[in-house]
Amino acid sequence: MPLYKTQAIVLKSMKLSEKDKLVTFLTETHGKVKCVAKAARRLKSRFGASLEPMSHVSLIYFGKEHQDLYRLNQCDIIQSFQDIKENPDTYYTAVYFLELAGHFIAEDHPEPEIFHLLVRSLREAGNTDSSGTLCRLFELRIMAHAGYTPRLQKCIVCHKEPKSLWVGFSYSQHGIVCEPCFDKEPVEMRIKSGTVNYLKKFLSLNLNHIRRLKIPKDVELEIESITHRLVLARLGRELKSYPFIRQMAEMTRT
Amino acid sequence: MKRPAAVKELIEELKRLPGIGQKTAERLSFYLMRGEKERVENLARTILNIKEKVILCTNCHGITEIDPCDICQDPKRDHNLICVVEEPYDVYVIENMGDYRGEYHVLMGVISPLDGIGPQDLTTEDLKAKVGRNGTREVILATNPDMEGESTAIYIARMLKGAEVKVTRIARGLPVGGDIEYADPVTLKKSMEGRMEIET
Ligand SMILES: [Zn+2]
Ligand SMILES: [Zn+2]
Repeated sequence: MPLYKTQAIVLKSMKLSEKDKLVTFLTETHGKVKCVAKAARRLKSRFGASLEPMSHVSLIYFGKEHQDLYRLNQCDIIQSFQDIKENPDTYYTAVYFLELAGHFIAEDHPEPEIFHLLVRSLREAGNTDSSGTLCRLFELRIMAHAGYTPRLQKCIVCHKEPKSLWVGFSYSQHGIVCEPCFDKEPVEMRIKSGTVNYLKKFLSLNLNHIRRLKIPKDVELEIESITHRLVLARLGRELKSYPFIRQMAEMTRT
Repeated sequence: MKRPAAVKELIEELKRLPGIGQKTAERLSFYLMRGEKERVENLARTILNIKEKVILCTNCHGITEIDPCDICQDPKRDHNLICVVEEPYDVYVIENMGDYRGEYHVLMGVISPLDGIGPQDLTTEDLKAKVGRNGTREVILATNPDMEGESTAIYIARMLKGAEVKVTRIARGLPVGGDIEYADPVTLKKSMEGRMEIET
């Protein structure tokens, strides 16, 4: 039986029986992989804390090719992201990253770019004060990696670079519309061209530099409504963890 | 030979129980079939009883036959000390230890954003009201040391911020009889953080 060695982020860890756990990994090289971890529920389990969701691990598993369930052989922590988990301000954002990545990485379909985006974003989540900005960037990037980059350079109708202060955004056409073209293409939203510049920056920015990015509050709100709606339009529904980010932010304020 | 429908039905029902697979379910159902009628009736009645007689304590949400439960009613226990646990079953685990003299608060689950379970689905508000009302001295957070249990503990700690109560978390680290050699870095780090001075 083939043995696989790769790195992964633990997506989910469930009780399977009295002794065993069923663990779902988002791997770098094999997409989503489900493994049975024998005796992982024992107090003295050799897997220790490595099967906790969100952990970045290196793992060895085996089983027949393209089967649904593999057997976990070894799992070692590369980074536990314990600091993120213990901070309610970052925890829910990170769980949202996990859930979102879990939607775009399918079984047997490796998405190394999304995987690395996830790892880097989790690392950054522990460092940054503005998890909101990171969240927007993550949403936009994951859409781009999945092949849904919004067209931001030129108007989707006349193919010219918009000169006006305001531009429209069309979710159905996945791009911007310049003011003179508003009557030709229905736009769902009007945004400042400055906001478009931030969106462009999000697509190319090195994640380490996100801390230096200072975004005006009104622009951030515009960006959120765009990036999150892109996600919703793609998935067709709200993600379970998303409302928690809001709820937690409100609780911190009061 | 085809199995009678009644047997099949019983096997299916037994299989829904935790830890029971096809083989065990078959063995149990054939055992029950062969046994005395009286024994089976007894078993059926006791199973029904737990649904009819056992209720949840309105104070701690633990399972009980009387409300409030005997722990909540016990004048010898310290009612200014509350141990917060995830499930009713956890109360029994801690009671078995025999050393704990406070009362409990069962959350009826954990916050689990990936499953869409939030604080509003648990008994957290109840806990907050109880602490405010009773002049509680200490709240011990005894949720599991996994991601959900940990984040639930942090949520409650934040929720109780501002209330005049000491909030503590059960120690996490090496299990008794464990081995440092095989401990993972997270567990080791927790053991270091949770170290205590040895009295000499
Ligand atoms: Zn145009
Ligand atoms: Zn009670």
